[in-house]
Amino acid sequence: MSAIVEVSGLKKHFGELAAVDNVSFAIETGEIFGLLGPNGAGKTTTISMISCLLDPDGGSVVVNGHSTASESRAVKQSLGVVPQEIALYPTLSAAENLAFWGRMYGLSGAELKSAVARALELAGLADRAKERIEKYSGGMKRRINIAAGILHAPKVLLMDEPTVGIDPQSRNHILETVKDLNAAGTTVLYTSHYMEEVEFLCDRIAIMDHGKLIASGTLPELRQVVGGMDVVAVTLDAVPEGIEAAIRAIPGVEHAERAEGGLEVLAPDSSAILGTLVTVIEAAGARIASITVTEPNLESVFLHLTGKSLRD
Amino acid sequence: MRTLLAIAAKDAKVIARDKTAVLIMLAMPLGLIFILGSALGGLDTGDTLDAKVAIVNLDEGDTGALFVDGLTGSEEVSALFNMDVRTDAEAVRRDVEQGDLQAALIIPADLTEKIAAGEPVSLEVLQDPGSQVSAGVWASVVRAAVSSASAQIVAGRTLGELAAEAAAGTGAQTAPGAGTAAPSGTTAAPSAPTDLSALGLTLTTVTVTDAEATIEKRVSTLSYYAAGMTGMFLLFGGMFGAFAFIKERREQTLARVLATPASRFAIMGGKAFGIFVLGVGQFLVLLVGTMLLFRVDWGTNIPATIAVGCAEAFAAAGMATTLAALGKTERAVGGIGPALIMFFAATGGSMIPAELLPAWLLPLQVISPVYWTVGALLDLMGGAGFSAVLVPIAAVLGIGAVLFGFGLWRLKYE
Repeated sequence: MSAIVEVSGLKKHFGELAAVDNVSFAIETGEIFGLLGPNGAGKTTTISMISCLLDPDGGSVVVNGHSTASESRAVKQSLGVVPQEIALYPTLSAAENLAFWGRMYGLSGAELKSAVARALELAGLADRAKERIEKYSGGMKRRINIAAGILHAPKVLLMDEPTVGIDPQSRNHILETVKDLNAAGTTVLYTSHYMEEVEFLCDRIAIMDHGKLIASGTLPELRQVVGGMDVVAVTLDAVPEGIEAAIRAIPGVEHAERAEGGLEVLAPDSSAILGTLVTVIEAAGARIASITVTEPNLESVFLHLTGKSLRD
Repeated sequence: MRTLLAIAAKDAKVIARDKTAVLIMLAMPLGLIFILGSALGGLDTGDTLDAKVAIVNLDEGDTGALFVDGLTGSEEVSALFNMDVRTDAEAVRRDVEQGDLQAALIIPADLTEKIAAGEPVSLEVLQDPGSQVSAGVWASVVRAAVSSASAQIVAGRTLGELAAEAAAGTGAQTAPGAGTAAPSGTTAAPSAPTDLSALGLTLTTVTVTDAEATIEKRVSTLSYYAAGMTGMFLLFGGMFGAFAFIKERREQTLARVLATPASRFAIMGGKAFGIFVLGVGQFLVLLVGTMLLFRVDWGTNIPATIAVGCAEAFAAAGMATTLAALGKTERAVGGIGPALIMFFAATGGSMIPAELLPAWLLPLQVISPVYWTVGALLDLMGGAGFSAVLVPIAAVLGIGAVLFGFGLWRLKYE
């Protein structure tokens, strides 16, 4: 695969604030690339520079072989943009909105008509096409917001926090839509501060904080950043003296320590130690109330790298 | 070009679906035309102002009677005014002050004497402030009469001077029928260099043939306010255009449009064209609406009238760009927009005839698109031709271009 989006040394300052600070990454053709970070991390500014809305202070962006600096029109034609805000005209109907956005990408006549029909089908709102957007629910508006970005069948779809503030049903619909679009050949750059969405959708992920790219890779690669350890939390009626040492002696256990209401055990593969762990605890005379296994996730990666939660 | 038209169509549709915009751009001007036209001038429809006026002739000589005959003998003036020739000047002044008369003309006792002596003369025109349109037309009619008299007097003076020169060489001769001093407008006239009364020169007739009076004769109060309110409210399209732009900037639809391959020329051109189209539509609705609802007579040259409306719709589009550049928020535009429109309207004669404004305000009229528009519409209502409104149209287009250029220069897209 070759890179369809190449971002190199990208910089953007707003006064003293370095909104994007020397960010580089490449998105391969056909993949879903996630840009994860808390609010204010610089994700939207990065997307704005890729979509030619902001001029970078430094670095370069190449989309589908075209530089944003010198061939912005060709770049824009290659991109579909789904902004964080619901950027639609409330007093126009869904069909009127989609027709307008289609015309902005040069569609007309029968081509425009069929593109609008396809987009409405994708949004699952073909039966409500003539209703004004202002009468739609938040989730329906979000779906049309996405549909407006894919009318011209872009090579790359930029999606900036497309599920903010919607109900679970609409969120699932949107996530499935993104998967379908990708399966149909669209490369997707997906930004979010919801780690579950990024984990579910993305082939590769870059994590941003304070304008910097602090890690990138596939989900398993990022898990390795925190050592790839499963966390086994055991709740006990009482914690016997010296049990930590006995657990640490179990092959495959990296670490064990007392925690509130029981023990916390770290192991690269929790399934390999669970049986022995239960035997050792019961032999020490303690009664197990519950066992919870947590695999390392992007939250723990972010916590490990920045010392704070994604939702802070 | 297709992109520009798509943006124009979308913008026009969005604004046209805004109930507040429709109310202000269509319902409000129609309502005001009806209310102001009814309250200030009655529901006259153009052929007559039905205004009560009085003439008091105090002149001890013959000239005053010529003015009275000239005014009362004119069919055109009689059709416009209900004229009464009276003798008590004080009673007439009181009636005008109380609003019982809309206007009056008082001819001074020494008119003939002063004309004969070549001295400046004054005619007293009284106007009821509550009937400014009728009174303004009356002043114009008197001006027309004075203009007629002045022409004869100037001609007479020239003949008199020639006769005096001839007399100096060959003895005294009498030049036939002419006066010696010219009353200018309703106030003072320049004095003649010599006393020619000895030559026996007199004013023979006074007629009302001035074009100004002819033009204004058909403009009723209702028609006046149809032109005035249309001139003012067309600019509100510009304000709503600015609202739409700022709303797009706030709701990020503008950013989304900027992320498409559409050029900035197409985007701003489309937005301006949308407002222009909306303005033309608004003008046509007001034109037809006032014709049907109030029987307003817009004159016979409807294509020229529409051209004037189109020019102001262009100015409204230019104003939208300037307002969007000046105001960062809809609230700010909601403050600046009406203030600017009211300034243009007040100086442009939307509310009261432009000639009744204070003198210090008059120089500002040239920058008001309303001034040129209302003036042109009134001229067309009075029967003027296309050529008479070419300069006003050019002026309005020029103002629109300046506003558009300034707006583009200062506009922030993000």
